[in-house]
Amino acid sequence: MVTDTATPVAINNQVHARMGRYSRVGSIALLVLAVVLPFIPPFNGQDYQRWLVVAAYTAALAVAFDFTAGYINIVNFGFAAFVGVGAYTSGLLAVDLHVSPWIGMVAGGLVSGFVGLLTGMLTLRLRGIYAAVMTWFVGLAVMGLARNLTEITRGSMGLNVPSLLESSDNLPYYYVILGLLVLTIVVLTFVIRSDLGLAFRAIGMNLQSARASGINPTRFLVINFTLSCLFAGILGAFYAHYYGILTPEIMATSHTVEVLAIAYIGGRGSLWGPAVIAFPMTIAVELMRTNLSGLPGLHLVIYGLLLIVVMIFWPGGVAGVIRGATGRLQSRWLAKASAEAGLAESVETA
Amino acid sequence: MTTATNLQKVPFAKRYLTFTGFVLFALVLVLALSAVMRPSILVDTLVTGGMWALMAGGLALVFGVMNVPNFAHGEFFMIGSLVAFTVFSPIQDTVLSDPANTGVLKMFGPFPGMILAALVGFVCGVLLEVVLFRPLRKRSRDQWVMNTFLLTAGVSVVLVNGDRLVFGNDYRGISRYWDVHPIVILGQPVSVDRAMVFVIAMAVIAVFALFLQKTRIGRAMRAVSQDETGAQMAGIALNRIFVLTMGLSCGLAALAGGALLFMYPNFPDVGVQPLYLAWYVVILAGLGNVQGAIIGAFIVALLQTLAVTFVGLGWVDVLPTAFIIVILLFKPSGLFGSEVKGVWEQ
Repeated sequence: MVTDTATPVAINNQVHARMGRYSRVGSIALLVLAVVLPFIPPFNGQDYQRWLVVAAYTAALAVAFDFTAGYINIVNFGFAAFVGVGAYTSGLLAVDLHVSPWIGMVAGGLVSGFVGLLTGMLTLRLRGIYAAVMTWFVGLAVMGLARNLTEITRGSMGLNVPSLLESSDNLPYYYVILGLLVLTIVVLTFVIRSDLGLAFRAIGMNLQSARASGINPTRFLVINFTLSCLFAGILGAFYAHYYGILTPEIMATSHTVEVLAIAYIGGRGSLWGPAVIAFPMTIAVELMRTNLSGLPGLHLVIYGLLLIVVMIFWPGGVAGVIRGATGRLQSRWLAKASAEAGLAESVETA
Repeated sequence: MTTATNLQKVPFAKRYLTFTGFVLFALVLVLALSAVMRPSILVDTLVTGGMWALMAGGLALVFGVMNVPNFAHGEFFMIGSLVAFTVFSPIQDTVLSDPANTGVLKMFGPFPGMILAALVGFVCGVLLEVVLFRPLRKRSRDQWVMNTFLLTAGVSVVLVNGDRLVFGNDYRGISRYWDVHPIVILGQPVSVDRAMVFVIAMAVIAVFALFLQKTRIGRAMRAVSQDETGAQMAGIALNRIFVLTMGLSCGLAALAGGALLFMYPNFPDVGVQPLYLAWYVVILAGLGNVQGAIIGAFIVALLQTLAVTFVGLGWVDVLPTAFIIVILLFKPSGLFGSEVKGVWEQ
């Protein structure tokens, strides 16, 4: 039966709306799962709850990392250093000036964002690999500063930082970091869906043509980079007040590589992919670390191997695989809807 | 393009009074001044510079020929030092147990370990190309530079932690290769080990440069580095060149690791510092420029030595970084890089 509504555009819109409903239901289900997870055995033990905190923290970091790596195609190799800048800012404010950790978190984010702004203005005129390596060098230099300015940071002796919450229970921390994770995803997704995000994606796909259509790449690259560093700083500050002891080790390149591995295995340019994959991967890694303590480094070998395999065979990561599946589902729905509407040809998927 | 300019028509001022010229002149001046003040600075610069030249030369070669920014380069340094330690420690035990009758072993004992280190590094490099880069190259060459960078980051994690898993988290080192009195250069006592390291580095770099300039395969490598498609059209088997390049580069890194065993005991993370120093050099000199990397290695070594002598040991990384950032502000393509935008800037 052909009605007025059965135009190809209308069918396409209907199918898209249906997909949108499913993905909304899916994300709400994931969120509910994340909220109730610490009550489901075996996740209600203290060990598991601690791992959940680490998982949510890693997830949020990977999302912030993906915001630059996945969209503007700049791999921030100094990412851990920006996390460290936020952590040290908040930690030092709390230790020396007795500022509340909550204000410290905001300050940490702002300072890290500012350092990110400077770094971005300095390095993002260079492109691709130069930018990646230069951010790495900046990160190494910042780590060197944290190591050497011992009268301020206490260097590798470690800075004892007051904790964020009164209780030493992991559960309240989990909800704080889960809130931060959701905040990170929501804010960054909002940015990606705005005009700003359109510019980011245009730059990430093809810098030359983005420039040809009147986008000033450096400006947008710096905005993106600064935002990512801002979130890295907030999260770093949280971690400092959760963990209690702060050493320059937090800025080590290996931490950047861990976040990078999660972001790429989860799927670059999706934001949700890294967040979702961070949970099972972190829990698996922590389980391995506890149960196979006779085999140090095994979990990182597996991280590395997974990263290699994903880079060669599934460059889109887990999110890419899921996207492919939903894409096929969507075209099947389209074909079905077109056939029902009596259209001779199936409507092309956008 | 530089080839289009007839060098003879470029006036003297334009040819040498460039930014690079000024920087090099300033650095030579600094080196001369500090050498007059403290001769140890000159000696230290030459000795450490020689080894960073081996590391950075290989890194620059792989980048130039294959467009692979190798993040796992330091791990071949680690493999080299592991091999050298494994080979050298029984030799050392023999020498120590019977010092009278092992004169030859005492003199030439360190070499088998270093040579084997270079060979193992070569094989590992070949494996890396065949097992990882070739499948990726077949699948897609989109964003090749960034993808291989991340791929080698994964390789680095696997190798570092694989070493930790198999050999444990211990330091495996030796106090010295040659147990003899230090020789005196410019009034400075220099241990024979460090002098030998410099000699080895210079000899290997000379052979390497001759190989690139004079042999057919070396010319083929340079051709691929200039224009891959053109080289392929001229009948160069790309795959063979890639395998050889990767092997050579990793072999050089492993040789550096083996030769520096007395300074850098084998440890899973030992490759980290050589890795970023090699990267400092390569970025400073301009990516993919092998000759530039060799000069750049001595520049970075000078900066490091200055930092250690005048500021403090902890600042050894901060000073080169600051210098590189300033240089790149003025010349984003590196000191010896051409202004022509390369494929890797996409």
